[in-house]
Amino acid sequence: MTARILNIGIGLWLMVLPFVLDLPRSWANHEYIIAPIIISIAIISTSESTRDFRYANTLLGVWLLLSPWLLQHLGMTYMLNETIAGLLVITFSLIRGKVSERFGGGWRSLLARTPAHLLAVQEKDKNKNQRYGS
Amino acid sequence: METSYYAPTDTTTVPSGWTYNPSTWRERIPLVVVATIGLLIALYLSAYQLRMLDTVWDPFFGSASSESILDSPIATILPVPDALLGAFGYLLDAVTGVIGSTRRWKTMPWMVILFGFAVGPLGITSLFLVIAQPVFFDAWCTLCLTSALISTVMIGPAMDEVLASLQYMQRVKRSGYSTWKAFWGDKAISSTVV
Repeated sequence: MTARILNIGIGLWLMVLPFVLDLPRSWANHEYIIAPIIISIAIISTSESTRDFRYANTLLGVWLLLSPWLLQHLGMTYMLNETIAGLLVITFSLIRGKVSERFGGGWRSLLARTPAHLLAVQEKDKNKNQRYGS
Repeated sequence: METSYYAPTDTTTVPSGWTYNPSTWRERIPLVVVATIGLLIALYLSAYQLRMLDTVWDPFFGSASSESILDSPIATILPVPDALLGAFGYLLDAVTGVIGSTRRWKTMPWMVILFGFAVGPLGITSLFLVIAQPVFFDAWCTLCLTSALISTVMIGPAMDEVLASLQYMQRVKRSGYSTWKAFWGDKAISSTVV
């Protein structure tokens, strides 16, 4: 939860960055596009069942690191901002946080050869059979 | 000697391998409430777009800023104003959220998946609209942002039920039954497949 809130905070910071640094239009647009996506991903991955969606923010963090180099260079302050924000977004997105519920193997179970929810059924059947010897 | 009685039909409400049931009212009611708030906001914004109101309330960016968003080419690109489409989306969220028993992840997978389809794309559309505000129109709209926040907040809590339904259909498939029939809530299947 905390890691997600921190990433929402970084997203909000990037959202106001164009005002703070008085960025030119095209650079402001870059922030206006990337910030709401980071915030949305962080909000969605707050839920335990969709927690692994946080890895999408890892990718966006990497993009933040690369963007000042790949796009037109715009001064030290801007570059430092993007780099620090990128590193922080990556770090927080890699923190799993507390997951107290279980979801039958989660979303990846849908592609698994032996999904956890199916194993749970078989396990239950086996216990029942042992107990009643059928 | 044990004399436990096992009912011939399966009545579990917690999905296999889960620690809770995602279809309880405790899980669903908050989403229905939030969707209803979103519906009211969207109806209010539609009322402006349909010229039933002269102005729109905006405490942060000012009414003029909000109005330039609500009158923008994207908002009016379709025959119906975009807030009205949003209102329809929220209505669908609320209706598909409220229909069905607390076992609906297995007795009504089609409703749960329709609910997921109502919640997901609504959130993604509003993300696009949030980006469009500063990028295309250089303006902001507080209530539009609030509505976008509401539709994004709903996604995570709604998806667990969708996952439970999809896993149930996966078990149906592995058991050799028709996933099509199970999707529409076939009772014979839902009482056989755990």
